[in-house]
Amino acid sequence: MNRVHATKSLTAIKGLLAGTTLIAGLAFCTGQLAAASLGSAHNGSDGLDAGPASRQVTTESALFAANRPDVFARAGIARGALGFPAGYRRTGRHVHDGIQGLDYDEVSEIDSAGRPIAMTQFAPDGRLVDAVRFDSPPSGLGSVSSDAATKAAQRAVAGAGLSVVGPALTEANQTLGGWDVHWARAQGRYAVRGDETRVHVWQDGRIQSVAQVEHALAAAPQRLLAQSDARGSVTRQCNAWFAGTGSSYALKSMDLEWVGPNAAFDADKLTAAAAPYRLAWVANVNPSGPAADSVQLITLFVDAGSGAVIGGDVVE
Amino acid sequence: MKRAKTLLVSVLLAASTLCATAQGSLAYSGSVWSNSDGFTSRCLGFTDTYPKQLYSLAQTQMPARGYSPVNGALGASFTRSAFLNQAVGNWAIYVHSHGDNYRATSGSGIDSAFLQDPGPTACSNYKVDSVRASSIKAATSGGPFNLVIMSTCRLGSSSSTMPGAFGIEKVKNSTDPEFFLGYVNLTYDSSQLRFERAFWSYLNAVGSPLRTASQAFAYASGLGGYSSPDTADPFQANWWGNPGYNGRARS
Repeated sequence: MNRVHATKSLTAIKGLLAGTTLIAGLAFCTGQLAAASLGSAHNGSDGLDAGPASRQVTTESALFAANRPDVFARAGIARGALGFPAGYRRTGRHVHDGIQGLDYDEVSEIDSAGRPIAMTQFAPDGRLVDAVRFDSPPSGLGSVSSDAATKAAQRAVAGAGLSVVGPALTEANQTLGGWDVHWARAQGRYAVRGDETRVHVWQDGRIQSVAQVEHALAAAPQRLLAQSDARGSVTRQCNAWFAGTGSSYALKSMDLEWVGPNAAFDADKLTAAAAPYRLAWVANVNPSGPAADSVQLITLFVDAGSGAVIGGDVVE
Repeated sequence: MKRAKTLLVSVLLAASTLCATAQGSLAYSGSVWSNSDGFTSRCLGFTDTYPKQLYSLAQTQMPARGYSPVNGALGASFTRSAFLNQAVGNWAIYVHSHGDNYRATSGSGIDSAFLQDPGPTACSNYKVDSVRASSIKAATSGGPFNLVIMSTCRLGSSSSTMPGAFGIEKVKNSTDPEFFLGYVNLTYDSSQLRFERAFWSYLNAVGSPLRTASQAFAYASGLGGYSSPDTADPFQANWWGNPGYNGRARS
């Protein structure tokens, strides 16, 4: 055991002994400890910049097969379609997830030791948004081809009641093994940024997870901003940003996509409620000079109707 | 009567001190660090709001795993020396910054690093600001650490030496109470925020004490919806450690 390990372990043991002795003798003190413990289990109430006010508190209520048979029936159908393991028992809960800014019904398959072995989550309208199994594939159990993985994913998606459009893109997952099969969502010829149906297929051909991400879309602008005008917006914005910093930039690419307006460049928008996605010119800009030591890529969303910068993203 | 009052005050003071000591000595400290000055308008012309959002999220969620106190810094106090000084006593560490797998100063091999905050008068420069895996390992003797999250680019790739800096072997079947989370490729900030929100949300669900960090990873990873900067850099998070470990502070 090295010096640091010994010091850390000693601190923990001392703490445990001191805590046990003192908790027994100091009634008013245990009240403080209990309060601290309960507080730490409460998610998302940071009061900082985690997002809109609705994001700052997580609340949940238990669901039972008796009072929400529809949720448990949907979970059973999804589990069967995806080949997930059945638990010793099931638990359900409705969650207003303050961290993710989502509401969902969740059913977990629980093993005899009380551990979750699979889970399904449904949107308030009953649509499956996420399903995942938590066990691991036995090693050395075959290696399905890309085509076989794609077909397995197609069967799983159909069985789970999800509809997909267009060809699947299947990629080997270099870190987890197996294959990622996904269908990007498009609306009116334009991709919806981040929206997709995604399936992870284990190397033995079984399904490990299925998810569908869909955001609400605003109406498309009546008159589409020309690419040259959007380029002008990007140039004006970047010229304003980089003036006096000793840095410069090069526009790498520009495409039309549906995007979520966000607060990437404007802290005043951090508390704004999530808005429907808007059609925008998405411009990727590579900085050069000193700024390139901080960021590799800046992505700007230029509203395809108004020409205003409505958000973006950064690769640090 | 006066003697009785004095005695009562003395007892209360002693009890209060002992109580504070008890809570302090039960501590498994953690730290959350985020480079923000390198991403302000002074250096970029605009202020990137993600470093503060990610810092706030980790600051809020790490205590729910039992780490206390949770120190660290957002901005100028995130220096190499402050980080190394605190890391020695930490059981959990979170870093959000620029990260990469740099060539070792010896010229051979990889010595991964993230960048400290450049401070209020400078901008990020990897030659000045890098906090190398080798220096972390030297300062901390490699651990032990329970929960290490590198919210940076590339420190979750197979070539990363950062897990070893915290004494975490790059395997997915460790039996020690340890979990390392990082990203494999160049990664958008928005994708890191989405992933980490999902990870913490699953792991810290109220009334679900048997959830593990690897399950939280599986949930967040399977969730999808992650943008990536180009086809050469698909979004991929990675982990190493103990698949059955719940991420809670323990020795």
